[in-house]
Amino acid sequence: MGQYLPLVVLMILATAFGGLSFAASRLLAPRRPSAAKQAPYECGIVPSRQPPDRFPVSFYIVAMLFIMFDIEIIFIYPYAVERATVGEFGFWAVVVFSVIFFLTFVYEVARGGLEWGPLHGYRSLEQDAAMVSAARDSSSTIRRVGLEGRVDRVTAGGANTEEAA
Amino acid sequence: MDFVVFILASAMVIAGALGVVLRPNPVHAALSLVLTLFGVAVHFVALGAHFLAAVQVIVYAGAIVVLFLFVIMLLGVDKAEDLSIEPFPIQRPLAAVVGAGVSGLLVAAIVGAKDTIPEGTPLGADGDQNIRALARNLFSDHVFAFEFTSVLLIVAVAGTVLLTRKEKKGSA
Amino acid sequence: MNLMVASLLAVDPLLDTDKWWWKVLAIVAAKVLAIFVIGLIGTMLMVWFERKIVSGMQNRIGPNKAGPFGILQTLADGMKLFFKEDLLPDKADKWVFRVAPFLAFVPAFLLWSVIPLGGDFTDGKDGTVTWFGETTRVQLIDPPVGILIVLALSSIGVYGIMLAGWASGSKYPLLGSVRATAQMISYEAALGLSLGAVLLMSGTLSTSGIVGGQDGIGNWNIVATGFIPFVIFMIAMTAELSRPPFDLVEAEQELVGGFNTEYSSIRFGLFFLAEFMNVITMSAIIVTLFLGGPQPLTLGGVDMLGFAGPFGGTLWVILKTLAFLYTYVWFRATLPRLRYDQLMDFGWKLLIPAALGWFLVLAALQMTRDKYDGLGPVLLAAALGVAVLFVAYLLFNAALVVSKRNREREGVAY
Repeated sequence: MGQYLPLVVLMILATAFGGLSFAASRLLAPRRPSAAKQAPYECGIVPSRQPPDRFPVSFYIVAMLFIMFDIEIIFIYPYAVERATVGEFGFWAVVVFSVIFFLTFVYEVARGGLEWGPLHGYRSLEQDAAMVSAARDSSSTIRRVGLEGRVDRVTAGGANTEEAA
Repeated sequence: MDFVVFILASAMVIAGALGVVLRPNPVHAALSLVLTLFGVAVHFVALGAHFLAAVQVIVYAGAIVVLFLFVIMLLGVDKAEDLSIEPFPIQRPLAAVVGAGVSGLLVAAIVGAKDTIPEGTPLGADGDQNIRALARNLFSDHVFAFEFTSVLLIVAVAGTVLLTRKEKKGSA
Repeated sequence: MNLMVASLLAVDPLLDTDKWWWKVLAIVAAKVLAIFVIGLIGTMLMVWFERKIVSGMQNRIGPNKAGPFGILQTLADGMKLFFKEDLLPDKADKWVFRVAPFLAFVPAFLLWSVIPLGGDFTDGKDGTVTWFGETTRVQLIDPPVGILIVLALSSIGVYGIMLAGWASGSKYPLLGSVRATAQMISYEAALGLSLGAVLLMSGTLSTSGIVGGQDGIGNWNIVATGFIPFVIFMIAMTAELSRPPFDLVEAEQELVGGFNTEYSSIRFGLFFLAEFMNVITMSAIIVTLFLGGPQPLTLGGVDMLGFAGPFGGTLWVILKTLAFLYTYVWFRATLPRLRYDQLMDFGWKLLIPAALGWFLVLAALQMTRDKYDGLGPVLLAAALGVAVLFVAYLLFNAALVVSKRNREREGVAY
């Protein structure tokens, strides 16, 4: 029991440090709250929606699998520490346990329990290129914006620099 | 010293347990559960069961309550619920009966077990023996229970997969 | 590795007494205070070290104004945070919002307590030192479950991040914290399984016992466990710390600042402190588990830092830890961030099965070595183990193929 005394002392010290930091900050920092400051951070936009209150079920599966693995881990530690005594019998017990466990995991994976997000298909760039008419190039497909009224000057200037180069 | 620790740990356990029952916000209730689990871990340490204390924190606080919190977040029930609506009318009487039963069992166990702990159980002297004794028991006398745990895990995973699987219309 | 010695090691002689006179208390207080100060100063230097190295790798100068070489920059930044307004968002859950920084920060401090920071473990010595007539360890506590305390504390640390995001009542912190939690628990499984390989070699959970068993570089667990657990542990640790390339928790382009977006002033400071302190402590834990902690590197049987005398062990810990700290910074400067599904696939479909498989093969080898003499049976066990692993690999691959085919047929299933 006494072995843990320093841990408790350190915990108290760390908590006190945190508490004192808050107290110091409270004394030193300005306090001018405003509605805009206290609104949820939305990159400057007025928040329009509540934060999402539902998440994909995959997160739940991960937590469930983690419990399984935690149990596996907790069971292999006693074996690892005491392998010299429990010998061959203990080894086979762990192997049987792990094999059943692994097959369960394989089943979960096969049922798609660990798939995240949409399927990622990769498009072939050559095929894409073949579908586009050769007559189109970057000057005909890219729409220039913000150039109203000064298109001539820009293109003329561009042409001039190219000629000069 | 031991008495002070016992009082503090018990206070943690009871405060946490009350929090679980009385807090209207499910996330607060889950956090109170963590407090209770910690109190139990402290009790384990005080009894010299160091390994069990560590397992208590790692598995229960570190995995199971995280799962609870995930479920609370997943279902979006973190707003205080309207307690006047009863979705499942029998659950309150049932809870009372089960609660009374568990309390009765606990009292019976405590009264019955009063004298069965041999004095001077050699646990506190060397906590390292904890895990060794556990291993020797687990991999000899209780190996069937150990293997059975993996079967339980299969059931758990199969249940998870089936419950969470969203079958598309038309596919089997 | 002598199991008897290991089990006797697992206690700090200073605290294993009923007499609580002032001397013992004074040493405990001094140790706690020392750890506390080392923790804070070490973190301060770590932030500076990281910024300086990264800027060097990016052809910049980095912090250079506050103090010599800008070494006081972190202190200046920290001081500044005290003077910043502390905001409590309207939608926040006030109570949890205030508690969350403590749940991240206190475990980070407590992690220091189980790391052996010095002492002489060579030739079967037990690493105790004598200070003012009291025999003790250069380590705050040495409980019999030593390394499990690390796992327990890191599982508490998860709460800090999870609750910070939830309590903020804001979109980005919540997304960040749910991601972070899933990431941390996933990689904690890989961490725990690769730790099993270390325990198989050391036969004890006590950190000083684990260090004591790694006498000589051939016995360092990085060699003795066959390198794979070390690699898995290192990667899982990086993910556990949410360091690049696994820093999806605070992927700026997607999540603003991640779980601590709504935190300001010293509350943010505590999260920041915890994050960098964890980098140091976790590096020291890798050193303890795989590189022998205070065990010296010898050249022709002579300790290469022998001139340091009783401080040699501490010097070795610092040097080895620095190597890891540099590696982490190097990762950050070099590797691009993973996508979330890549992160999860990497953890669950590669690291975790590999760690489990390696543990079993290692257990088989050890069991054969215990039971039979000679190299033949060990080689046979190794061959069998690899064969079984290959079958398991094929099975797992089949599962992945089935899963992919189902997804292609059904569209997105989840």
